[in-house]
Amino acid sequence: MRRKFGPLTILEYICLVLLAVLFIFPLFWMVASSMKPEAEIYNNMSNIKAFLPSFHPSDWFVSYNQVLLRFHLLVYIGNSLFYGLCVAVGSIIINGMAGYAFAKLNFSGKKVLFGLLLAILIVPFETILISQFTIIHSIGLVDTRLAVILPTLAGAFNIYLFRNFFMAIPTEIIESAKLDGANTWQVFWRVMLPMSKPAVATVGTLAFIGSWNDYIWPLMVLTDKSKFPIQVAITAINSTDPVYTNQVMAVLTISTVPLIIIYIVAQRYILEGIGGSGTGIK
Amino acid sequence: MSKIGWKENRTVYTFLRPEGRIKNKILWKENVVAYTFLGPALLLLSMFLVIPSIMSVYYAFTDYYLLTPNMRTFVGLDNFINLFQDPIFLKSLVNTLEFVVWVIPLQIGAALGLALLLNKQRKANTFFKVAYFSPVVMSLVVISVLWLYLLNPNEGIINNVLTYFGISAQPFLTSPKQAIFTIVVVSAWQGAGFQMLIFLAGLQNIPGDVYEAAQLDGMNKWQRFIYITLPLLKPTSIFIFITTLIGAFKLLVQPMVMTQGGPVNSTMTVVYYIYQTGFTDRMVGYASSIALLFGTIIGLVTITQRKLVKEDED
Repeated sequence: MRRKFGPLTILEYICLVLLAVLFIFPLFWMVASSMKPEAEIYNNMSNIKAFLPSFHPSDWFVSYNQVLLRFHLLVYIGNSLFYGLCVAVGSIIINGMAGYAFAKLNFSGKKVLFGLLLAILIVPFETILISQFTIIHSIGLVDTRLAVILPTLAGAFNIYLFRNFFMAIPTEIIESAKLDGANTWQVFWRVMLPMSKPAVATVGTLAFIGSWNDYIWPLMVLTDKSKFPIQVAITAINSTDPVYTNQVMAVLTISTVPLIIIYIVAQRYILEGIGGSGTGIK
Repeated sequence: MSKIGWKENRTVYTFLRPEGRIKNKILWKENVVAYTFLGPALLLLSMFLVIPSIMSVYYAFTDYYLLTPNMRTFVGLDNFINLFQDPIFLKSLVNTLEFVVWVIPLQIGAALGLALLLNKQRKANTFFKVAYFSPVVMSLVVISVLWLYLLNPNEGIINNVLTYFGISAQPFLTSPKQAIFTIVVVSAWQGAGFQMLIFLAGLQNIPGDVYEAAQLDGMNKWQRFIYITLPLLKPTSIFIFITTLIGAFKLLVQPMVMTQGGPVNSTMTVVYYIYQTGFTDRMVGYASSIALLFGTIIGLVTITQRKLVKEDED
């Protein structure tokens, strides 16, 4: 194609750059502010230095040090990683098994259950938070790690996703594995899951991100600070006097790093999954 | 057991009646295997989704107080009657609708605009895509806390920039008039990059020769956009519209972290009010009545959209 550098192209680039600034300046400010002394943040507010870290590299990680000393940040990050991994692995196994049953097994009540599954997709999760809490309350799981993990494991959408993926795997492959002496359980583990790596990666990644970002549910079921995931800890830190802007920004930056890594590593699978993740606004 | 085997057995069953037991026995075995696979998911879905949904319908007609579950009594429609006389609930309903009405055009418009800008061969496209998408990577809590600092009326950088350009400093989240609109802008800023990618995928699915043919027919750029791009983008747009709409109805984290529903309840949303009445104030019965009413509204919206999408496909 012929390349033209007309006024329209220049206008386009100006638009693109201005919009890019609009979308990333908060991030730059967040990282820059975490890397300078508190007083500098407010002195720099009215000039471009607001988006640059301190000119003294020795000041860069002072706030990180301080915030790590003041709060058990590594415990919160560790908690979030633990919840995220449990939910990711659990969702793959539990929803994968159910998806397999819907795709390849015969059982009575299949149609009814599948209809129910599709109906569940409509239930707005947020509106039943309170009665979910009463269930956790009545089975005595309040303030346990299980309470954070259990309700987020099974998901109608993930079952649906696995089912669709498994449907595409030819039944002949299952037949021949069975002729080789594999039972249904072995077929699931050694044939279905390995052949569905994209589905496994999509469900796992989205489950991890969902768990990492979850705020309201852990806030409700946990009271013991040592079990807090990072998201709940952020708001707690932001309201623990004395509040220093540079320390809060350090916490925000640290808590975002794992997500950035995941988005970079698993971007393909995230894009495949967004088609119907129904996260809505996000 | 395989499908083929099952069919063979059924044939046997029709011809030799006494053998009928074999079929039943196999089906029973198949059921055991299948329900073992379904078991964990069914158990968890019932425990944390189906039962809570049914319970919440029942609770809506009781005066259930969280700490005294055994003393709950049936109160008929009392909760719903109180609901429509509760100024905070009515305010939360208005606020939520206001949020939805503003955020939908802003966020979807921004997403479509960004996608159109990026739908062109350009070396720097990846950079711009990453830039527009970057707020999506951050959690709602992080962006809420971050914007709380950026929007600080006295020391925030936004007001510093505004005064630099000669615009007077704004109260933003501290003003009952501006707070909900500020949350609209922050939410759209955070989410637009996500829908941009879906739009972009939709745009790239439109075959290039359609445009070429239109160009040969003498259509200009604008006509091609109106008569080709928009109609072919319709399924994508409907999907985005519905998911954004449902997400917007559930607004909770941003007001919770940024304003705690204030000032003077100007950012109290329905889901936040469910949380406050049911969890903070422990009035499970009352909260459930809000949940039932609001859940029905969202459910109806979802069902309507499915019908619309299906009609569109037919």
